[in-house]
Amino acid sequence: MEAKQKLRRFTRRTEFYIFLVLVVMGIVIQSMSGGQLFEVNSIVDIARAMTIMGMFALMNLMVVISGGFDLSFPTLASLAYSAATTICLTQGWAQESAWIAFLLSGAIGLVLGMVNGFIISRFKLNTMIVTLGTQTLFLGISMGLLQLSEITSTLPLGIRYFGEASLFEVYSSTGMRSTMPVAFVFFIVLAVIVWFVLKYTMFGRALYAIGGNEISAERAGFNVKKTKFWLYAIVGLVAGLIGMLRVAMVRQAIPKGLNGWDLEVIPAVILGGASIYGGEGSVFGTIVAVTLITVISNSLLLIGIDSYWQDFFNGLVILAGVTISAVQAKRRSI
Amino acid sequence: MSEYLLEMKNISKSFSGVQALDHVNFAVRPGKVMCLAGENGCGKSTLVKIISGVYTRDEGEVIFEGKKITKITPAEATRLGIQVIYQDLSIFPNLTVRENLAINSEITANRRFVNQKRMDATAKEALSKIGHKIDLEAKMGDLSVADKQLIAICRALLFNAKLIIMDEPTTALTKKEVEALFKTVRKLRDKGIAIMFISHKTEEIFEIADDIAIMRNGKNVYLGTTADITPKEFTYYMTGRELTDKHFVPKNISKDPILEVKNLTLESNYKDISFDLRKGEILGITGLLGSGRTELALSLFGLLKPDKGDILLNGKKVKITSPIMAQKLHIGYVPEDRLTEGLCLHQPIADNITLSSLKRLSNKLGLIKQKDILEDANIWVDKFSIATDDACKHASTLSGGNQQKIVLSKWLSNDLDILILNGPTVGVDVGAKQDIHDLVHELANQGLAVIIISDDLAEVVANCNRVIVMKDGMIVGQMESDEITNQAILDIIR
Amino acid sequence: MKKKINIKDNYALLLVSLLVIVLAVFTILKPDTLWKVSTWKSMASQFPEYGVMTLGVMLCFIAGCIDVSFVSLGNFASIIASLFMLQAAEGTIPEGQTGLIVILAILIAMVVGGISGYLNGNLISRLGIPPILATLSTQLVFRGLAIALTQGYAVTGIPPIYSEVGHMDIFGFLPVPLLVFIIVLLFVAFLLKYTTFGKKLYMIGSNPKAARFSGINVTKMINTTFVINGMIAAIGALLMVSTMNSAKADYGSSYLMRCILILVLAGVLPDGGMGKIFNVLIAIVTIQIIATSVNMFPELNSYYGSLISAIMLIVMLMITSRLLSTDRKVRRKKKNLPKEAG
Repeated sequence: MEAKQKLRRFTRRTEFYIFLVLVVMGIVIQSMSGGQLFEVNSIVDIARAMTIMGMFALMNLMVVISGGFDLSFPTLASLAYSAATTICLTQGWAQESAWIAFLLSGAIGLVLGMVNGFIISRFKLNTMIVTLGTQTLFLGISMGLLQLSEITSTLPLGIRYFGEASLFEVYSSTGMRSTMPVAFVFFIVLAVIVWFVLKYTMFGRALYAIGGNEISAERAGFNVKKTKFWLYAIVGLVAGLIGMLRVAMVRQAIPKGLNGWDLEVIPAVILGGASIYGGEGSVFGTIVAVTLITVISNSLLLIGIDSYWQDFFNGLVILAGVTISAVQAKRRSI
Repeated sequence: MSEYLLEMKNISKSFSGVQALDHVNFAVRPGKVMCLAGENGCGKSTLVKIISGVYTRDEGEVIFEGKKITKITPAEATRLGIQVIYQDLSIFPNLTVRENLAINSEITANRRFVNQKRMDATAKEALSKIGHKIDLEAKMGDLSVADKQLIAICRALLFNAKLIIMDEPTTALTKKEVEALFKTVRKLRDKGIAIMFISHKTEEIFEIADDIAIMRNGKNVYLGTTADITPKEFTYYMTGRELTDKHFVPKNISKDPILEVKNLTLESNYKDISFDLRKGEILGITGLLGSGRTELALSLFGLLKPDKGDILLNGKKVKITSPIMAQKLHIGYVPEDRLTEGLCLHQPIADNITLSSLKRLSNKLGLIKQKDILEDANIWVDKFSIATDDACKHASTLSGGNQQKIVLSKWLSNDLDILILNGPTVGVDVGAKQDIHDLVHELANQGLAVIIISDDLAEVVANCNRVIVMKDGMIVGQMESDEITNQAILDIIR
Repeated sequence: MKKKINIKDNYALLLVSLLVIVLAVFTILKPDTLWKVSTWKSMASQFPEYGVMTLGVMLCFIAGCIDVSFVSLGNFASIIASLFMLQAAEGTIPEGQTGLIVILAILIAMVVGGISGYLNGNLISRLGIPPILATLSTQLVFRGLAIALTQGYAVTGIPPIYSEVGHMDIFGFLPVPLLVFIIVLLFVAFLLKYTTFGKKLYMIGSNPKAARFSGINVTKMINTTFVINGMIAAIGALLMVSTMNSAKADYGSSYLMRCILILVLAGVLPDGGMGKIFNVLIAIVTIQIIATSVNMFPELNSYYGSLISAIMLIVMLMITSRLLSTDRKVRRKKKNLPKEAG
């Protein structure tokens, strides 16, 4: 029974452990890059780079906690923002302010999310496989049915302005300029909201409960079907919003723009301490994990490694993370 | 009107043509402990599910507190004051004790936001019902089974329970924990709450129950107080057979031991285990939960490496490092939990039976024909009268007893010297139980060395010519032939 | 209980009906273009690329391990092979030697594929990393290595004979890719049906614990499965190289989802313990027919194919969702029971 108490300490350690790793990596890179990492503009660049991924990670955190997986969010978001942008373009909207674009994108995302929610809540299916199917479905709709095209130079001005808006500017010692995008505030706001929902609302606790033991959740009186439905619906809604945010930040709406993000975001969520079986996970851990991955990707240039090695190093970090948590889990069960 | 809290008259229920309950009469007195006993498949859990509203009865009456209840749903049952604590305890291992206690109330009250103070109050109130002290912040999954159970009981009490039903609550508890549980049960009884236990453990039943109901084959064969029945009669009602003090008497024991275990030790599991085993013997290893008997078995089979000590086979020292090696050494193991450890349920019966003999059935290149597999499997289906007409059907289509026979066949199709059986008749109906026991006798008489690990004392007494009793990881007693009686073992364990 | 088995046995029938419906629909819509010899020939050259990979991943699924790294793995292997061919073919080389280099390159690709697969296998079997996580990370690692080696560019300048052979028709009618596919198909089918390896594979996928308790070397089996999968993925990638006459880190990126979709459609779920070669073959053919037929409509683009396939998959999943009560569900239920440690 003492082993069980050690277990408690261990689990908490996942979040702290990865935070430690982040700190260590930061120091290492700082020294290897000759002090470039902690320069103000570098930090702002990192903040900018992790905004979108971080937001997707937060939404996926909620799904993973409930014991599921959502592999469809990249194409869901792409469909939402592409369709929304196209509509704005053809209707001549969003020329001054971007809010209509966001509204549209969110609304479309909500509907698409409901598709996920409907299938997952009604049928006892593996969520990974279902969202794999809907991922392809959404891609087929955006690229096939609707044949949405890339929107770059014709991007509605309202969105463009939004993307160019910045909170503040910083300059590096060498005179390089970095701006902190307004989107970062959205990231922080989303993080706070998700944290609050997970910790202080029954909906959030329901996610943990369902992920921990779905049968007990039913018996305890949770409406599991309804919870799951709304979870995926909301994830869709927010994914649409995040997608539009990205359109603003990169100033283009490419229908395939987010392809493959599911394979990078989900490992990040696991790296942050969430369990693939559900029931565990925290906002803190997720943010630390995303930061770690972003820092490592962005810093390669700083320490003189070609950016071509980015994927490889990302892969190594994630591999190391999942290995350690697997070894820890093994030790616990013995 | 009646002296009963809950009365059930003439309850019948069938599933796709199979009669699970056949005109069952049942009653629970308020403020008393009632034990519902019966072998596997007798209909106990079906009855409970009807009481708790999960199933609807086909016919019969249910009267609660003197009022006729026409339709019971789970919500209705809770409202009436009926609480069921299932074997899995319906807890959330990843949430805190506080949340586990308070969550049902929060949901019932339609809360949207989490209020720590309010949940604290609810949790403390729940714990106070029994006077149990525990850290509210602790993670549920980290607690012992006994603690989890107490918390499940506390939670049930929050709903003004008048009747608490517990499904095999002592399965995973140590002796001490069982005593603590019984103390709690008595406390509740004194408060006027009726407790209903499902169990099959004779000693425990006679210790705690005021009333007993025994079911067999979907019928109620006894309903009365504990005082009015003796353990012997109890066993008779349970199994329909007389319990004889008949032993297994070995016909042919080899001169030299085939297995010698010397001072085997695995820290925190077992210590200084030494014993011999000869061909033709059936050695019983028994003890309560936590005695280390399963761990010992796993070590003999290569799944748990011992820290110290020696294992000798035919006089030669061996290190059993894996089940593959154990098999090479002609040791077989029928595991405790056939569903998770013994069978691939959604694979054909034939494949399951031949799983450990693939090498024998294939040629040098590793090629194998389904025909050969079927043929080999059917030998065993016939030999053990496994109730199936087609060995290509999935193993999930069989009953517990027949499934156990498959696991046995799997090992017996190898050339074995030693066979270790862990809980060979758990969850097996009476008929199959007898079959399996007879089988094991026959095998021993043909020269196999058998170890039966079991906490079913009746099984151990009837089937072993030697018994080792373990407690807290050590051997505390050894007996031979006539020395082996129920009482003798109990004396040592206590 | 009986109903379950019936549907399972009839799943093949269900799939064949689906194929028949698909054929019927497109026959009605485009009878002339669909039933041209050239159409079928081009289909026969297209599906082997991902068809081969599907067969490799099928083995992993049966073992209960999902694999999302096979495309990156294949590309990695084919890039190394292509780089080798480039280096070795530098300068003037007599005809015969080029052939030797190509054969050597193919072998190198398979070895690299095998070793990469071995890595995957060990991460799962020795370190106990859940397959989804292990292969998600190795997928990035392989892709990363491939990008680092090529800086993102395609590897061109491969000896022309390679692509020429890849576009040949053996005996005048059999495209080489199809021949390769048939060989791999026969190999996997044989493996599953007539060897102890195949038997053990199904059992491990169904219940790895019970398999272990029965004396099966689960670690070795999983490693072997992934090695074979790696080699087959490399073969698939080599086919892609022949088609594109070059190797690149991101070729076949749509194949990842397509292969998994095909397997799930064919009833081969990553939960393990299930899957029939015949069903997979039907699923591959169905998907290819849809893809090719969609191309016959100038107003539709290839994504319509994915759309139709996705809808088909989701509908099939919903229909057969009753079937999904594998051993995993029993284990999950049992996991929540108090453990009886004696």
